[in-house]
Amino acid sequence: MSRVLSISIFRHNPRDPASVPHMETHELAEAPGMTLFIALNRLRETVAPDLSFDFVCRAGVCGSCAMVINGRPGLACRTLTAALPEHISLHPLPGFALIADLSVDTGTWMRELAESLETWVHLAAEPDIDLLEAPMEPKLAEEIYELDRCIECGCCIAACGTAQMRPGFVGAVGLNKIARFRLDPADSRDDADYFELVGNDQGIFGCMSLMGCEDLCPKELPLQTQLAWLRRGMARQGLRGIFKKKDNE
Amino acid sequence: MKVAKRTFDAVIVGAGGAGLRAALQLSESGMKTAVLTKVFPTRSHTVAAQGGVAASLGNSTEDNWHWHMYDTVKGSDWLGDQDAIEFMCKKANEVVVELEHYGMPFDRTDDGKIYQRPFGGHSMNYGQAPVMRSCAAADRTGHAMLHALYQRNVRANTQFFVEWMALDLIRDADGDVLGVTAMEMETGEVSIFHAKATIFATGGAGRIYFSSTNAFINTGDGVGMAARAGVPLEDMEFWQFHPTGVAGAGVLITEGVRGEGGILRNSSGERFMERYAPNLKDLASRDVVSRAMTTEINEGRGCGPDKDHVLLDITHLAPENIMKRLPGIREISIQFAGIDPIKAPIPVVPTCHYQMGGIPTNYKGQVVVPQGDNNNVPVRGFYAAGECACASVHGANRLGTNSLLDLLVFGKSAGETVVEDFEAGNLSLKPLPDDAADVSLARLARLENQTNGESVHEVRLAMQRTMQKHAGVFRFNDLLKEGVEAIKAVAERAKNTEIGDKSKVWNTARMEALELDNLIEVAKATMISAEARKESRGAHVRDDALDNAETPNGRDDANWLKHTLWYSEGNRLAYKPVNLKPMSDDVEPIALAKRTY
Ligand SMILES: Cc1cc2nc3c(=O)[nH]c(=O)nc-3n(C[C@H](O)[C@H](O)[C@H](O)COP(=O)(O)OP(=O)(O)OC[C@H]3O[C@@H](n4cnc5c(N)ncnc54)[C@H](O)[C@@H]3O)c2cc1C
Ligand code: SF4
Ligand code: SF4
Ligand code: FES
Repeated sequence: MSRVLSISIFRHNPRDPASVPHMETHELAEAPGMTLFIALNRLRETVAPDLSFDFVCRAGVCGSCAMVINGRPGLACRTLTAALPEHISLHPLPGFALIADLSVDTGTWMRELAESLETWVHLAAEPDIDLLEAPMEPKLAEEIYELDRCIECGCCIAACGTAQMRPGFVGAVGLNKIARFRLDPADSRDDADYFELVGNDQGIFGCMSLMGCEDLCPKELPLQTQLAWLRRGMARQGLRGIFKKKDNE
Repeated sequence: MKVAKRTFDAVIVGAGGAGLRAALQLSESGMKTAVLTKVFPTRSHTVAAQGGVAASLGNSTEDNWHWHMYDTVKGSDWLGDQDAIEFMCKKANEVVVELEHYGMPFDRTDDGKIYQRPFGGHSMNYGQAPVMRSCAAADRTGHAMLHALYQRNVRANTQFFVEWMALDLIRDADGDVLGVTAMEMETGEVSIFHAKATIFATGGAGRIYFSSTNAFINTGDGVGMAARAGVPLEDMEFWQFHPTGVAGAGVLITEGVRGEGGILRNSSGERFMERYAPNLKDLASRDVVSRAMTTEINEGRGCGPDKDHVLLDITHLAPENIMKRLPGIREISIQFAGIDPIKAPIPVVPTCHYQMGGIPTNYKGQVVVPQGDNNNVPVRGFYAAGECACASVHGANRLGTNSLLDLLVFGKSAGETVVEDFEAGNLSLKPLPDDAADVSLARLARLENQTNGESVHEVRLAMQRTMQKHAGVFRFNDLLKEGVEAIKAVAERAKNTEIGDKSKVWNTARMEALELDNLIEVAKATMISAEARKESRGAHVRDDALDNAETPNGRDDANWLKHTLWYSEGNRLAYKPVNLKPMSDDVEPIALAKRTY
């Protein structure tokens, strides 16, 4: 039995002075196996040539296509219309600059995050490629890999009360990255260094542990556990910092 | 329209694996570099690569670069240049280990080394048995690689121009390359990026086919820009059809699935690859497997109500292993085929996947063109790497995992060449010709003023269907002949595309129209080169090439052991010899032989 979907889409182009934010509704015959990616493309090819939205991989791995789908942030390419009611409403991700319609600028945000948290392996010395591999326990490698799966889609930011209220809050995506590098023996930074980066209200102490992020992470990253670990580690580090200061006095 | 001008030491177009690897070299050497990209770097298509990157580390089974080189030459059906192949196979360990140090989270063996899995066409001891050569981060190798490279670029403070689309290559009267014109997608403004060196790393053009594993942004922009600027395209008739695209959806299921023990079955449940490739079976080279599957389907042994696909079976593998080694694949099957591969086999069909040809380069990443009696004269200031380039290491058929390796090796090599030339003072900022932006402005003006034109979507669809029908897995003399006329007709239509949205800002319709110009160049190059090549070799297999002693598998070395060069102007074809001589004396040339698996 095939349905006719009614898809309401947020439309607005902030760079066009004449544009007023509004919802626009289109009907579309549902097809078997249809994802929102397919549905939106079909609309653009037929009735809405100027509709903006982002897709690259259509396989849930590039992180371009996050949007708010019936009130919940998620990846459009991974959402089957069959899993949704007939009426679908689509909004751009909050927390990021709006480009147009469903397209937001996660890139600038993620680059700033990468710079401020220095999300790269800080090697003690430059690699000697003739030395060949740096062996690693398979179990540890798996743990790092697990956290490295983040696709920087921004769903956790859109879902996070703190991030919405406090610009500059690094969110689960940022904290997860710190957790990842903290695990990595190749990274020469220690907890004091990480404390510098996230031991504050923009970081781990800003997080209210409401866990909107974990519920909505499309990669199902274990954000809750990581945030808890990091909070404990950073709290310990914070105390150590205070005692050190006292000793010096 | 006024055109702003920006000046750099180097401009790189593309921020996928190849572009990021090259950028690293330049940024770390302190060159003032601009990297242009249509999408945020980590969204580039490299992110979707699943199975792994080849290197003969020998962590799981014995291995060495000689075997890797042999497999690559044989995989290429002897059309690959042996100097470039030797270079790539020798460099593999270095570039992979480098990435490990940059933080790429590879899977590990029990003793902590990089985990390696078997992959199609990669063998031990010159074809005897499968070898474990593919270094993998589960089934998200591209994601792990691209993020590691990006992070390292943030560290090196690389300057990206995100959501900037390069439009045309700028050459002066001497033919030297002086940069590109590009459009900022946010504003629709055109700028000139004037540079001493220009590196193209724009990826492939898999979107010329209707059914493709490629992302929508893979529109062959670099290849199209080069062709319009008079650079010939090499070996464009060779396209890889990946055996296992999810039937209907086109999304890829990595060969790593077969590396981990997956088996292809026809409607009677038979493991049919045993008949076609007795030694490597399901792990034979991709062209071989894709043809076997197509033959099974054509002969009525396909599965499903329409008998239009075969099945990829991993139900015999331990569920823990599937979850650990192939979690992304399980996710994709559930999502796109509605099937949990732990319980039921996945429906698959051969799907367009990879462009073997491209902008001709040498192993140093310099773009080379024929001039006088020298076939390989570098174009000053112009370099290319990755899927848009043709080094040529993949020849007539690429082995799985050799592309990610190609990105790393030739991305780095192109970067190194530019830095060397720069430091030696061999690069200069030549004055821009007055008409540097005219071609781009004319293309835009044409789109602006077009009335009663063609829809971009419909012309693209016509192109994709023409390519699919006339230049698919198997090729037929009469269909190719008709295909040449058909694609020329589509190309005429593409000259009159009209867009429904003419606003300046964030206009995706305009971008798609400009991308179509590039796709059309690629489609013409493919069809015309394919029609002309009267033999079967690697991925190019035609009905009228017979398998006999002189022409094994239809391969005609006496007449066709040569690279095609297609020039856009006048659809002219030229040819140049294959380099059958390795780079050093470390290895003997790999002698021509019939290709069997
Ligand atoms: C689904 C899938 C799985 C794969 N798995 C494997 C694998 O396991 N192993 C393997 O070896 N290979 C694999 N491949 C092949 C391999 O991933 C690609 O060949 C490779 O990633 C191409 O990389 P690239 O850097 O050349 O281009 P891309 O990663 O495609 O990057 C192109 C870049 O160019 C930019 N660009 C393009 N045009 C313009 C323009 N006009 N202006 C500005 N910027 C532009 C884009 O924004 C992008 O940044 C796979 C391919 C696919 C499709
Ligand atoms: S943590 Fe999850 S939700 Fe957040 S950006 Fe990464 S993948 Fe997306
Ligand atoms: S737990 Fe809550 S406050 Fe903390 S990052 Fe997640 S959503 Fe934000
Ligand atoms: S399109 Fe890449 S995650 Fe959806």
